[in-house]
Amino acid sequence: MSEIVHPLHRFIRPYVTSTTNCPGCGNGIAAQAILRAVDELGMTLDDFIFVTGIGCSAWIPSPFFDVDVLHTTHGRPIAFALGIKMGLPEKKVMVTSGDGDLAAIGGNHLIHNARRNIEMVVICLNNGIYGMTGGQAAPTTPMGLKTATTPYGTFENPFDISELVIAAGATFVARWTTHHARQLTASIKKAIQKKGFSFIEVITQCPVQYGKKTGSGSAVQMMKEYKEKSILLKEAAKLSKDELHGRIVVGELVDKEAPEMLEEINRMKKKVAGEKA
Amino acid sequence: MAKVRIYRDLCKGVEECGICVSVCPKKLFQPSAALNPKGYRPPEMKDETACTGCENCMIYCPDLAIAVKRDKAAKGAKR
Amino acid sequence: MKGTRVQTGKYFMMGNTACAEGALAAGCDFAAGYPITPATEIANRLAERLPQVGGMFLQMEDEISSIAAIIGASWTGKKVMTATSGPGISLMLENLGFAIGVETPCVIVNVQRGGPTTGMPTAGVPADMVQPKRGSHGDYEIIALCPASPQEMFEHTVLAFNFAEKYRVPVFILSDAFVGHMREEVVIPEAGRIEIVNRKVTEIGTDPQKVKGFLDEDVAPMPIFGRGFRSHVTSSCHDEYGKRNLSDLTALDNFIRKLSDKILKHKEDIVRVERDYEGAEVVLVSYGAVSRAAKMAAIRAREQGLPVGTLRLITPWPFPSEEIEEMARKAKKVIVLENNLGQMYPFIKAEAACHADVSFLPPRVIGEIQDPEAILNRIREVMK
Repeated sequence: MSEIVHPLHRFIRPYVTSTTNCPGCGNGIAAQAILRAVDELGMTLDDFIFVTGIGCSAWIPSPFFDVDVLHTTHGRPIAFALGIKMGLPEKKVMVTSGDGDLAAIGGNHLIHNARRNIEMVVICLNNGIYGMTGGQAAPTTPMGLKTATTPYGTFENPFDISELVIAAGATFVARWTTHHARQLTASIKKAIQKKGFSFIEVITQCPVQYGKKTGSGSAVQMMKEYKEKSILLKEAAKLSKDELHGRIVVGELVDKEAPEMLEEINRMKKKVAGEKA
Repeated sequence: MAKVRIYRDLCKGVEECGICVSVCPKKLFQPSAALNPKGYRPPEMKDETACTGCENCMIYCPDLAIAVKRDKAAKGAKR
Repeated sequence: MKGTRVQTGKYFMMGNTACAEGALAAGCDFAAGYPITPATEIANRLAERLPQVGGMFLQMEDEISSIAAIIGASWTGKKVMTATSGPGISLMLENLGFAIGVETPCVIVNVQRGGPTTGMPTAGVPADMVQPKRGSHGDYEIIALCPASPQEMFEHTVLAFNFAEKYRVPVFILSDAFVGHMREEVVIPEAGRIEIVNRKVTEIGTDPQKVKGFLDEDVAPMPIFGRGFRSHVTSSCHDEYGKRNLSDLTALDNFIRKLSDKILKHKEDIVRVERDYEGAEVVLVSYGAVSRAAKMAAIRAREQGLPVGTLRLITPWPFPSEEIEEMARKAKKVIVLENNLGQMYPFIKAEAACHADVSFLPPRVIGEIQDPEAILNRIREVMK
């Protein structure tokens, strides 16, 4: 009797013997959700180019996925990704990055590329903390939480990153938690096929830095909390802003059509060529 | 109903992680007797015949350390 | 002629325009940038011309994303460029280090202006001569070219692209507001007479696990994206295969040394100087716009029977130490002329001081080019 093989192991870089995640890290669930999306679409990783910044989420494809990957500087993966898409428009460009990388230092690039609606998929692993450097407060850390750099509790309002990206003009925005692994895969599939800037926020557990420091508990407890706090978009529509306090609104928040940047550039180039002739 | 393979060397432990134990609707995982070479304690299945093939353990394992292959369509499994 | 890469002809052309035309002639496909005086004309020209040849210019949200976008595009095989001034280079420095670390061909034009900080945007001061070499963190080597005319803005830009492709390294054009905004005769030759170098790329079909895309002193073929190489291109310390190593110091040593040796080993091919000091006792060392004044001073000095020569640095980086030393052995006095407080001077002095007396002459007012008469006065002084 032959042993069964994990259907997604074929996507893993041959020299990688295990993930670099801490035990229970939600990034691993998201990583698998991405690979499952690729698999279910009948695509291969050679159809993709991954771009990452700095942080634990940057290590989702690097070195784990057997794929072309550009592991860049803190906050900048989306800017690099734009250049890659300009050079290889037929490839799917995907960015995996954290809330600190994308919404703090990288906020400007996130905003402008959502505005440009350039075709790419950006997956934001939002664990509400700077995990790799040991648990410092992030722009998404809830008010009052004690972290490495806010030992008396945070005193800043946190971001709703998805709202920011919607306002900037992205045409596909979804938010799920690591409790919603199957829905996440479904949204990733949609995002990959979407002709526009797709943004997927994944509320993900960092049991070692966030969990321990803030007393939020183990990976399992954090995922249970996501399950309890989550509320689907259409259910949330029935509640008031006060009633939604502390809840995580999940679902496909925006899915619309708008001019995509590469299409506009091609239109312009044809015009220039026409004038030349 | 399904075959389950646990990649012991990839696992990061039922105590430190334990997600598979938590997401299995039939509560079929328990700690195994031996540690793996990294010092983590992988799970083992109490009774593979009771597995419905829902694939939760496979889908939720952050280390891709569990593989599930259904013998036939599992009752109640989400797709 | 509109719509062709090489606009062959004789022109009365601005330095910045000639730079953009040089990029097109060299095969530039993609450029990104952000408006900044005195470099903006380059961006404007590229925005107009690149789409005519099937390429593209993107104005980005800042200089950081400008250099990031061109690096990304370079990894798809494109020849790329960005142009800015000192404040913009300051923003680009982190990603400059990234380009160097993962060995990415790209051209970065700095049309220098009076600094520090916002300073005087229209003053042609070579204020950032050491910035390419020491501005980004860590030990590294860089290639930089210093044009002294609009003609050289064209020629050096082509050369910069060729060096970038050959050595898989960012190459700087260190111009300034004078040379960038000055108009002079520029001759653009026929396309067939312009040498173009293209990067070596990993052979298609190579087993991804066997691709050695990095850290070869003789320049590894570039495993560009989209060809199935599954290239792992990381800013982290890595080995020849691109595999990350954050624990072994021997890996870090290898990473640092190989990147530097890739340039240092090929200095003979890269370093360019202009020598005119046969029989000279006093040698004027300069670069860029100031070299025009040095040339004029040397001509007048010789007319008066003074044994004066010039050495012009065309590539301030990698530092032409051998060429400086060779000159200093033959000279008695060396006068370094720069339109700043002496940025290359300490490096020149370090090489030359054991062989000759080395001194520095700034202009009367920083921002002005030295008056040839003032240079002559200094020559007479040192010869006493």
